[in-house]
Amino acid sequence: MLFRLAWATLTSHRARTLLAILGVAVSAAMLLDMVMLSSGMRSSFKSLLLARGFQLRLAPKGTLPLDTDATIGNAAEITSVLRAMPDVETVSPVLGGQLHVPRDGKTVTATALGGDAASQGDYEITSGREPRGADEIAASDDFLRVANLRVGDTLSAAAGYDPQLRTFSGTRQLRVVGRAHFLYMAAEQRAVALPLETLQAMQGQAARDRVSFFMVRARQGANVDSVLQQIERAVPKVSAISTESAIRQIDQRLSYFRQLAFILGTVSLVVGFLLVTTLVTVSVNERLGEIVVMRAIGVARGRVVSQIVLEGSAIMIAGAVLGLGLGLLTARYLNSILASFPGLPAAIDFFLFEPRDAWSALGMLVAAGILAGIYPSWRGASVPIATTLREEAVG
Amino acid sequence: MLAALLAAVALQQIDSVPPHRAPRTLVVDERLAADAGLEIGDPLIVSRTPGGVGDTVIVSAFMRRRADPSEVARAEYRVRMHLDELQSLIDYGDRVDRFALLSHPEPPGHPEPYVADAPQGRLRGGSALPAVTDSAIRRINAAAFGFQAHRSRDIAVETSQTFLVVSRFHRAIGVITIVASAIFLLCIMLLKVDERRRDVAALRLMGISAGSITRSVMVEASVVAVVGSVLGLVLGWISTAIINWHYRGVYRTPLAFALVTPQIALLAMMLSLILGLAAGFVAARRLVSMPPLELLTGRRDDRPPVSAAATR
Repeated sequence: MLFRLAWATLTSHRARTLLAILGVAVSAAMLLDMVMLSSGMRSSFKSLLLARGFQLRLAPKGTLPLDTDATIGNAAEITSVLRAMPDVETVSPVLGGQLHVPRDGKTVTATALGGDAASQGDYEITSGREPRGADEIAASDDFLRVANLRVGDTLSAAAGYDPQLRTFSGTRQLRVVGRAHFLYMAAEQRAVALPLETLQAMQGQAARDRVSFFMVRARQGANVDSVLQQIERAVPKVSAISTESAIRQIDQRLSYFRQLAFILGTVSLVVGFLLVTTLVTVSVNERLGEIVVMRAIGVARGRVVSQIVLEGSAIMIAGAVLGLGLGLLTARYLNSILASFPGLPAAIDFFLFEPRDAWSALGMLVAAGILAGIYPSWRGASVPIATTLREEAVG
Repeated sequence: MLAALLAAVALQQIDSVPPHRAPRTLVVDERLAADAGLEIGDPLIVSRTPGGVGDTVIVSAFMRRRADPSEVARAEYRVRMHLDELQSLIDYGDRVDRFALLSHPEPPGHPEPYVADAPQGRLRGGSALPAVTDSAIRRINAAAFGFQAHRSRDIAVETSQTFLVVSRFHRAIGVITIVASAIFLLCIMLLKVDERRRDVAALRLMGISAGSITRSVMVEASVVAVVGSVLGLVLGWISTAIINWHYRGVYRTPLAFALVTPQIALLAMMLSLILGLAAGFVAARRLVSMPPLELLTGRRDDRPPVSAAATR
């Protein structure tokens, strides 16, 4: 009966109810988007960092991997030291640089990663195989498309550009042996992977026995923080960065978006709350006569309050369900805008849907709906019966 | 380091470096000064590596970060040193990372345009300057100095891509907010007009035209919209002050994060007025299209009333 009464009241003002549900849906969509934004970056970035199981990155002291042009010297010796540690399972040294490939009268430039094919954690081969030989290379789809190359083709590549002399320090003939998906590259960024020694040799004296960073995978069951401390003691000239500390740094750099998400999420919730409060208050004022009649014939105050609260909650729930779909659509659109940040890895999602987010948004909205209905319903159910009846009858 | 080199190259030419005197002076980021408790005149040791051998310098001034969006998220401290000292400290040789140049228009009697050292890299003067700058860029790039000259404006466009993305994101959020506001406003107007259905019924029975009632509701809606937008502007102005106060503290920058300009205020008021009028029109037309008697009784003939029996 309680539900029938609430339903009858809501359907007696269809346009008003529909508008309220739409208003709540937009608020719910915004709230869901902001909840997704506040946690999406962190989850997405963490998944990306752990995609290949490497929990630690070692960069030149005071820097982040590939954040500057700084490199780490004595790379071979450091690699040996790291591999000798009992809790270290895999060490992947990586040198970053640029490769210039003259093709069809123009030069195609790509980000080059020199590494060890057996232990690398930067890319996944989608066709062909990893570059193991000194004259082999794997490339991204975008590079192969722009350079008009296919797996099996041979190209002439140069590295180590000296702006003072406008010359390259090394030129090689390389054979494309694989097509690769680079995990940490931006969308449409042209990238190639080749053996570490090849890139070091092409970059000349400046890159001899140097790398940009190391990736380290700890053994299963090993304490990552303890491994990090061991590494920092053994190799004092590097900064060891764990997944957690990398996330903290990203959190710091992108704190603006988290705070924006908090502010806009709060505003959305308040707008939804105000909308339902206004609607329920007006609805109660219009139905004061009906309410006092119900009270006069013996309907308990709690029951009257429950009915009105139910109306507010029903609007909130209907709006929230509609807002869920709307929120996912707007999140996709907003994510496509933020994904065009220069240099942002294509795998990073600012808006990542997790069922927990949907439940959080729904829970907050339902709580707001219940709160929105309590005060007006209590006020309506508490008016003096005789006086109100007389006023309503007289008009 | 780059900033220090740039600053230093702007201060003096390499060939005019006076004989090395110790100790030299250093300008310190005021955030570093606050965090490290530094005062003007304090001696410091600057070195290439933490704890390494270095030079003693004297803090001569504090500098404040510029209101530059590209520096907001960067937490590192900055210092400005003399060019020769930094080159010596980091073993950089007779090298700099880049030069900033200021192009001048051709002065009277001077045969060709020329370029000179400039501390700010800004263009000044009349409309002939872009051509002068183009000429200077062409001449620098044509000479095999190993330099590549870029126009400051092109670099600014390149480095502002991040903020264009943020700006597009804000615009998208703004559109969603406008949609939510429009629905909210329509809902409120519908409620307000619904409250007066008996008055409207009486007016219609007295012979007042539907057009007059619609206009009256629209006037009321416009007043609500204008008063609401004025209140919203006051709230926005207060929010802006709070946002700027908060983020300036968080990022320790003089940058204004939020700004209420006259154009934005006017846009908000016009938008609110248009939405209010539209909402008032829709709500009023809906009401005046109903028969006056139906408005008076509050129920349609084809809909059964909610019976008291349902409450038992």
